[in-house]
Amino acid sequence: MRLFFLTLCLLISAPLLRAAPASDWENSLVYLEVTRKTYEVLQPWTPKARTVQKNGLIIGPREILTTAEELSDRTLIRVQKGGRGKWWNAEVVWLDYHANLAILTASDATLWAGLKPATFVTGKPPKDGLQVVRWRNGNLETRKAEFNQFIVEDARLSFIQHLQLEASTEMQGVGWAEPLVAGGKVAGIASGQGGNNARFLPASFIEPILTARKAGKYPGLGYFPFTWTPVENPSTFKFLKLPGDPRGALVVDVPKTPAPEPNLKPRDLILSVDGFDVDNQGYYKDPDYGQLIVENLGSRRKFAGEVVKMKIWRDGAQTNLDYKLPKLDYSVKLLAEQTFDQAPEYLIAGGLVFQPLNIPMLRGFGEDWKRRAPFRLVHFAGEAPTAERTALVALTSVLPDPYVLGYQDARLLVVDTINGQKISRVTDVQIALQQPQDGFHTVEFMRGDNLRRIVLDAGQMDAATKRILERYRIPAASHIAAK
Amino acid sequence: MKYIFSFLFVLALVLPARAADPEKAVVQIFTFSQEADWDEPWKFGPLRRSSGTGFVIKGRRIMTNAHVVSWARQLMVKRYQDPRPYLARVVFVGHDCDLALLEVEDSQFYNGVEPLDFGPLPKVRSTVVTYGYPAGGEQISYTRGVVSRIELQTYAHIGNRSLLGVQTDAAINPGNSGGPVIQDDKVIGVAFQGMPGLENAGFFIPPPVIQHFLDDIQDGKYDGFPSAGIRTAPLQNAAFRRKLKLPDDDRGVRVDSITPGTPAAQVLRPDDVVLQVGQYPVGSDGSIVYEGNRMSMAMAVQEAQHGHKIPYRIWRGGKEQTLAVPVEVSATDKVLGNQYDLPPRYFIYGGLVFTPLSLDYLKTFGRSWSDTAGAELTYELFYRRHESPTTLRSEPIVLSTVLADEVNASFRVRGRAMVDKINGVRIERLEDVIRAFETPSNGQHVVEFLPKNTFECLERTAADKAHQEILKTYGIQRDRRL
Repeated sequence: MRLFFLTLCLLISAPLLRAAPASDWENSLVYLEVTRKTYEVLQPWTPKARTVQKNGLIIGPREILTTAEELSDRTLIRVQKGGRGKWWNAEVVWLDYHANLAILTASDATLWAGLKPATFVTGKPPKDGLQVVRWRNGNLETRKAEFNQFIVEDARLSFIQHLQLEASTEMQGVGWAEPLVAGGKVAGIASGQGGNNARFLPASFIEPILTARKAGKYPGLGYFPFTWTPVENPSTFKFLKLPGDPRGALVVDVPKTPAPEPNLKPRDLILSVDGFDVDNQGYYKDPDYGQLIVENLGSRRKFAGEVVKMKIWRDGAQTNLDYKLPKLDYSVKLLAEQTFDQAPEYLIAGGLVFQPLNIPMLRGFGEDWKRRAPFRLVHFAGEAPTAERTALVALTSVLPDPYVLGYQDARLLVVDTINGQKISRVTDVQIALQQPQDGFHTVEFMRGDNLRRIVLDAGQMDAATKRILERYRIPAASHIAAK
Repeated sequence: MKYIFSFLFVLALVLPARAADPEKAVVQIFTFSQEADWDEPWKFGPLRRSSGTGFVIKGRRIMTNAHVVSWARQLMVKRYQDPRPYLARVVFVGHDCDLALLEVEDSQFYNGVEPLDFGPLPKVRSTVVTYGYPAGGEQISYTRGVVSRIELQTYAHIGNRSLLGVQTDAAINPGNSGGPVIQDDKVIGVAFQGMPGLENAGFFIPPPVIQHFLDDIQDGKYDGFPSAGIRTAPLQNAAFRRKLKLPDDDRGVRVDSITPGTPAAQVLRPDDVVLQVGQYPVGSDGSIVYEGNRMSMAMAVQEAQHGHKIPYRIWRGGKEQTLAVPVEVSATDKVLGNQYDLPPRYFIYGGLVFTPLSLDYLKTFGRSWSDTAGAELTYELFYRRHESPTTLRSEPIVLSTVLADEVNASFRVRGRAMVDKINGVRIERLEDVIRAFETPSNGQHVVEFLPKNTFECLERTAADKAHQEILKTYGIQRDRRL
């Protein structure tokens, strides 16, 4: 019986042994439990706790690599090794939401005993012998993964498009930093899954970032903020006076911010980037990954502030352009894309609840917020900020009280001015409310098919706010992030 | 007990005779219709057959619903218990109020038919009887119910107007449409719609709306129901009333904004307080009392005819004054609602099909068009007029489809795109498209789209050459309908 059991174990372990001894991953992979604060979007003064489980990869002395997802607004991170038993407290030592990477550590030396750093695949990424590894119910689960493709897509937590590896696996619920391994080395870590197709941050994307960070020279990811389109129409090339074969990605939209100098212009054709020729579909041939869209050259071994050398076709002639990669800033858009690590801002004034209109707020309408949120609010997401208005504030709701009688149905209205002052941020609301006009506060909303104006008694506002906070059991009249 | 029974029996015998047999004036209408295709605007959809009800009124006319006769290719009517079909034609149609008048050329049709008269707006809780030819049988059907409520209702046929409507618990089913609702031998409504999800709730068009329609056509054309051109907001906050120096007496509604381009913009201002419209005092919630029923003050505006002026008693600058506010039928309302009978305008060049943006066009994207049509088209049609009236195009144009041909085969934009410019000409309306293509260009036509400045080029000579052949290939008789 003992002999049979031993044979069975060996048989089951055989595929694992071909990749790496199971014990190696046991000692390189840890189980993480992250507790963080989340907020009800339209009642931002009410935090809730959320706990998720993730995987962490030992990558060096006292260093655990994981994805940055679900680490914002964290209150507690715990680490478990061997898939069961004792928990150790951990903390974040470095984190980059744009790249979706984070490094954790723990001060208790006993955690590190027996743990062994994993190493990354170097050079050309492997396509065979891939496996996904994770801790599950106290055991190490290893499943085969089939390489599908390299793909350049939006990062999980930002609109930077960078290289990702797609592999299919029967393992479900992947996306919590499970390592993709091959030949005993790490080929990537998981960032998401759709059906059986899991997405991984490839080692070749992670490793240069970690190296630069270690050297204290990581400025963050750069990106291409402009919009281009493929061109198949020979008539368009003729119009652009481009001789020879069709080629190049056609720039159609260049945002006002960020504005690197020199910058591209609409109707420029990007012919090559860093020596890679760009075809008329906007693809270049990567020596390691095959055909990829040109965006990848904004993050391929280059970071923010570095220059990519472009050959462009402009106004009927070829010219060179040294394009300095801008660093992504979530607030570069009219509606901030993310607001990590800050409790949502709000201001309650006499029952009027003012909040920044941003994408996290719209996500409160659900996964399909683009369909479920009011059309006009969603449309602002595609609009650019102006010098006059860099962001938007919305009156999200009115807490009913005699003071605001007649306005109780007003909700989700974008504020234009208060007491004649333009409003971009919640602090603007605070300042404007200190300057009533003739004893009244006048709130004007943006033009549209909605309510345009309300007026309140300025002298009664403070008392009304106090009464409303008590009645609705709201701990504070405002939360405004420090500048 | 016997006596009572006998009395009831006698009543039952006598009443129909006194009612002059209204059913003899009620007709069944058979419609053969063909709707326009808003995506491929040179086409029409399949021939549809439907039926509704109508009734003969004075002047040898048949009244029915507009939706019974929309897009009609042929109309046939049958009288009560008469097997013979008569051909009819539409004389007037009001799609906003869902009413139409038909005419039968064969004068025999009117023999022995006593036209029905109209009565007043019924009272709530009073009893009414509907007459019609609903689905489920061949013979005329009667249903009895009470008037449940009277207020402004959205008229589903046009979709974007609310006019006076009466709710009843008398069953109103498909086929009833256009039939008379009778009280005391008089027509006090035209059955027209139900509401999904509401049980025992049917709606009929009441006499004030019918009379407005009949008055409107006196000059030989139908204009429609005018709009106020203003958006009002309740004036119930004490601080706002104090700021406007207005007594806190629940009178008056505040003008919050004025629709750009309407006549009201020349007379009224934001923060005017409307105290009275015509003869109707206005409450702080914007309501009036009309025939004992509280409803939106829009009712007072709808009583007027297009181009008339309504006296408004307003509060401005701390005192009352009276203004004459002109009211008009909004031309832009048309593209924001469902359109009928007039097929869409279009122009085709080199296989590119251009047509105006409208709600009907957006509906070609399917049931959930608001999700799939794209933000730019939705914004352009519904929001720009409010937010940025100075940038509004009088008739936004879309490239609805591209008829594949060698000349345009490499286009990436295959349709459903908002057109910004052609050969540098900003496209304000369909005629601009034609003018732009006629503008001399350097060998290529350049068509620019919104929102991201994408553009496509078309070889001018090749497009000119291919134009007629493309029309022939796709069986299109004319390259334009203007």
